[in-house]
Parts: sequence; C-alpha cells; structure tokens
Amino acid sequence: MTVLILTSEEDVTADMVVVHLNAAGVPVVRLDPADLTGSVALSGEFVHGAFRGHLSSAGRLVSLDSLRSVWVRRPGAAAARAPEPSAWLTEEASQALYGMVRGSEARWMNHPDAARRARHKPWQLRLAQRSGLPVPATLITTFPQAARDFAERYPDLVVKPVSGAHPQDPPRAVPTTRVPPGADFAAVAYGPTLLQRRIAKRADIRLTAVGDRLLAARKATCADGDPEVVDVRFTPSTAPWCPADVPPRLAESVRTYLREAELAYGAFDFAEDADGTWWFLECNQSGQFGFVEVDTGQPIARTIAQWLAGAPSRQGARPADRCGSAVP
Amino acid sequence: MKPFALNYARPAAELEFATPYAYDPGLQLNVLLDGRIAARDHALLRELGTTTSTAGSKTHFDD
Repeated sequence: MTVLILTSEEDVTADMVVVHLNAAGVPVVRLDPADLTGSVALSGEFVHGAFRGHLSSAGRLVSLDSLRSVWVRRPGAAAARAPEPSAWLTEEASQALYGMVRGSEARWMNHPDAARRARHKPWQLRLAQRSGLPVPATLITTFPQAARDFAERYPDLVVKPVSGAHPQDPPRAVPTTRVPPGADFAAVAYGPTLLQRRIAKRADIRLTAVGDRLLAARKATCADGDPEVVDVRFTPSTAPWCPADVPPRLAESVRTYLREAELAYGAFDFAEDADGTWWFLECNQSGQFGFVEVDTGQPIARTIAQWLAGAPSRQGARPADRCGSAVP
Repeated sequence: MKPFALNYARPAAELEFATPYAYDPGLQLNVLLDGRIAARDHALLRELGTTTSTAGSKTHFDD
C-alpha cells in the first residue's frame, strides 16, 4: 500500500517525512499536480460497476486502490506547467485528478473539503470559541463606525488580513500590525478588515497536531524587542523554539477543534500572555513544521510518516473516521 | 480606495534564491551536490529558512 504525496519538488519539508517513510519501507509516490500532462499522467476506467484508476509520475505507476493515504502538502495548480497551460486545462486536470483520488479509500491529510473550509479565518475563530479555546476580541467589518466603536472598547488593536493571503501585484506582505492610536478607519469601507485586541504576549506558541498527537513549541518574546512588531514571522529573532507542555484542558479543546474541523493535521498559533493563557490566533491546516522540528528536535516528521503509514479507511467511512489516529 | 489593512503592507521579502540542493526524481528527495539528503542537514535547513512559516507565503497561505 502506497502513500501519495502531492507537493512541489522544492518542498524540502516534505522530504523530512519521505525520509521516514523510506526508512520504514513504506512505498511512496510523490508528484506535483502542476506536472500533469508532462511527467505526471493519470487514467481511470469506470466499467461494469467497478473503477480502476492509475497515476504515474517519473516512471512510478500506482493503482488508486492501492493507496493507503494521501498527503496534500504544497501542490501546484493542476497542469500549471503543461506546454499550453490555461484556466480551463487546470480545471479539467484538477477535476480528473482529485475526483479520482477522492474515489479511493485512502485516508487524507487533509481532505480537500475540510482543508478548503478550514482556511476561513472567521470560521476558525468561531470554531475555536465553540471548542473552548480563548479567542481575543475580534471584529471583521466593512463599517468604519463599527471599527471606531470597537477601537473605543479595545484601544490596543492589531490588524491582519482576513484570508492570510498577501497581495501579489506587486508582491507585498501584510503582517499582523499594531494599529496606532487615533487611526482613521474610513478605509475600512474599502475592504473587510480584521481588527483584534492585541495580546501582550510573553511568548508565541506553535502547536502542531498530527492525528491525536499534539506537539507544542514555545518561543519567548524578546524582552527588548520592538513593541510595534507583533508578528513572529516578521520578527528577527535568535531565540529558538523550545518544546512546551500542552495544558490538559487546552489539549482537550484542540482535539475538539480538529474533530469538528475534520482535520488530521493542524498547526495552531497561540499568543501566551503574562498569566500563561494561550490565546488562539489561527489554525493553519497545512502549516509548516520543519522550522519547529529543526529547533526542538520534536519528532513531527516521524509522527506524520506514522500517520500516513496507517491503514486506509474502510469503505464508506465518515469524514471524522478518516481523520482519526492510526499510528501503527 | 485602498483597503485599511493595506496601509500596513510592506514590500515582500525576496524569497527566490538558489538552494544548494536539487530534486532527484528517482529518490523523490532533494539532494545536495555531494549526494547527501538535504532534509537530513538540519543546520542547513535552519540557515536557509526553507522550512519556516514564511517559506510558502508566495503561493500558499497555510503557513
């Protein structure tokens, strides 16, 4: 039984997992959907009430009914590198590939439907609340007056993108940024704006969840750092990530979140305040983990490999079953 | 007509750089010039930042 990994060639983080799968003797087929019609090919036949499908990549051929799991890591858009790419061809190739793989009994990390839903930050915030995770007061609005009222109630605010995406024309980054006192909120009318009460944090927490296993890491806030810079991704720091224990009640809430979201993998970001409370910021359903493992030595890649090496789901399994723990 | 959040945008960091490894389709892994597996060299990964939470920002927003 084979593990199918959908990701780009340069994804060296995926390599960290492939190394463990190789060591365990688990067959792997790794391909980038962007290479469809080039080095990647597919075929599926629906005949006499049965389905037989195959994928090939770089000389490897795999039957879809021999897949034990599918890891959707950093795949390119289907057929993006075809000789004559087009939006139409990408849609055709995407439907053919994902449509056929969906028909297999493989377990997904993460299922495309769950992944698409889990990317919505407003949905994340609501699910975190329902799961019992502390969520900072947040407003998403296009009403300037609502923003002004919110700023009166919570004078110390940060602004961040609703989607987490960064504008590309020209390429810019929109880090989580402190809103200065007296800010003019008129421009809130020109795009949904996410304002959130700033957590005076003493550390950033990255909690990586793989099935039922939770691996948390903590990075202390630099004591003499710039108080205006609140986004750890854009903060130059030499402080390493260190392993951290997950408070039991918070672990229970995180598992509730994952179960409700039907996610087998999630990278949670929290801000730890002076009282030691972990405030939920977001859950990246395909968040990076290599930088944490490199600093902490936590066996995240090995844990992912073990999850992927688990048995495929039984036919007709419900989504929640597909996302359960199956570490052999 | 610029959305409020874009008042706080900054130029994106240049992430395009030559990595000292290349993908080997046979191994399905990235390999260093001396034949070693890049993913086993954690010091190199730390130095390059290719596994960090901003590494995929250009095309993916699940960091």
